[in-house]
Amino acid sequence: MSDRHSVLERLSRRDAQRLEKLQKAHKAREEVDACNENEEYFSGAFKIKSEYIEDLLNQIPTLETNTLPSHFDSIKRDVNELQKYVVTSSFFLKEFNMRKYLGIVQNLQTKCYEMEDRYVPRKKFGFSKKKLPKSHDQKQNSLDERDGAAKKDSNKWDEKLFGFDSIENKVLLLQNDDLFQRDVALRNLKNCTIGLKGVMGTLHLTNLESCVVLTGPVTSSVFIEKCNNCRIITACQQLRMHTSNKCDIYLHVTSKGIVEDCSEIRTAPYNLQYEDLEKHFNMSSLDKSCNNWDRLDDFNWLAPDIPSPNWSVLDVTQRVNNWNDWWSKIPL
Amino acid sequence: MGFLTILKKLRQKEKEMRILMLGLDNAGKTTILKRFNGEPIDTISPTLGFNIKTLEHRGFKLNIWDVGGQKSLRSYWKNYFESTDGVAWVVDSADARRLSDCARELHSLLREERLAGATLLVLANKADLPGALTVQQIKEALDLDSIKTHHWRIVRCSAVTGENLLDGMDWMLDDIASRIFTLD
Repeated sequence: MSDRHSVLERLSRRDAQRLEKLQKAHKAREEVDACNENEEYFSGAFKIKSEYIEDLLNQIPTLETNTLPSHFDSIKRDVNELQKYVVTSSFFLKEFNMRKYLGIVQNLQTKCYEMEDRYVPRKKFGFSKKKLPKSHDQKQNSLDERDGAAKKDSNKWDEKLFGFDSIENKVLLLQNDDLFQRDVALRNLKNCTIGLKGVMGTLHLTNLESCVVLTGPVTSSVFIEKCNNCRIITACQQLRMHTSNKCDIYLHVTSKGIVEDCSEIRTAPYNLQYEDLEKHFNMSSLDKSCNNWDRLDDFNWLAPDIPSPNWSVLDVTQRVNNWNDWWSKIPL
Repeated sequence: MGFLTILKKLRQKEKEMRILMLGLDNAGKTTILKRFNGEPIDTISPTLGFNIKTLEHRGFKLNIWDVGGQKSLRSYWKNYFESTDGVAWVVDSADARRLSDCARELHSLLREERLAGATLLVLANKADLPGALTVQQIKEALDLDSIKTHHWRIVRCSAVTGENLLDGMDWMLDDIASRIFTLD
């Protein structure tokens, strides 16, 4: 009887021990999981690994030629591992960050291939594969260059454009009879005040510097490109703003505005007043009650939870409240 | 239920077409898509990402992908190329200023291997606006006559009035259908 009792006791004790051990192991695993699977830990680990690869790449010029192939192999292996690491972490990474990390991996990869091309050139005979990525690169580069701000805008349809071009230090005014539902373009202006008292179809502002643009309602879109240090007071259905800096936009936009490659843009609600404005608004069929002036989308800032650093709302105390005196004087 | 259903399903699948709508920003891609689908067009915002619409037209099931045209989005266009049957290239006829950009993007698109064989429809949109270029001018500016690798056609249209939109689409559907549904 006592024998049976002691056996039972032993069994239950061992069972308790087993459970405790299991629990401990479980807990330990959980801790490891939790601290490995968050973004901070990941970005730290990623940084260490990517810097390690960067170091390996930087060593290349100092290494002996005969050790290079194996060196490149190990770099490629590391890059692959890093890529795998990013991909397997995808379930807890935000898409925006994921893309960023993959971009870094991609850069390392291209750098590695470029280095290999330079330091371990392939034999002359054979299909020259290496040309492909290179020409691709070149193509992209030249595309970027041509897209760049260096060129002055002009093309063979210049005479079709309606608006102002290449003027400095002037006050420029147009009335509704001239403007009505037209495609209006302002280009290459410096230190000018441009008053457009009327309804336009589209408005293009390109390459303006230190200008004040005062406009009536624009039926479809306002297109702003390469403008610096300007004040733009406009009402439209869509606003698209590219490659511009330090501009204040007093805006009425019925759908939504976007910025791309811009910085230091500030917005405020449209507050222009002139005699026929009400009438012009009715003619343009813009909804006066619907204004999304403070909700711009930034194409260079896709993180939804953090506001874009490229634009902000202009502080109430810094806003110009009355533009009546501005129609007739140059900005500076 | 049974064999017939399976056959029908297969056929349905066969009648599907994937159409990619591309072009520079502000060309009117989303407006055209919404106009097709009979949705209101006065509240459209610049496309941050893409829109997809599936609609039935003349017995075909069309999957239309409308991808944003901002410069920063153009590098993502290639993600949408796979198994595309037709490309609708939308041009803002009133934006003469950027036609050279437009031509460049179009021709680099046509070099894309995964779009080989896709039908190209150039929609010269906003043709109703004063100051819009003519189809002939756009054809020259985009150098369309040099395209030998794709079936193409240019159509003047307006998403706002709806003018010619269906004609253009019908041509594209016929062209695609004659290529991929030869068993009909």
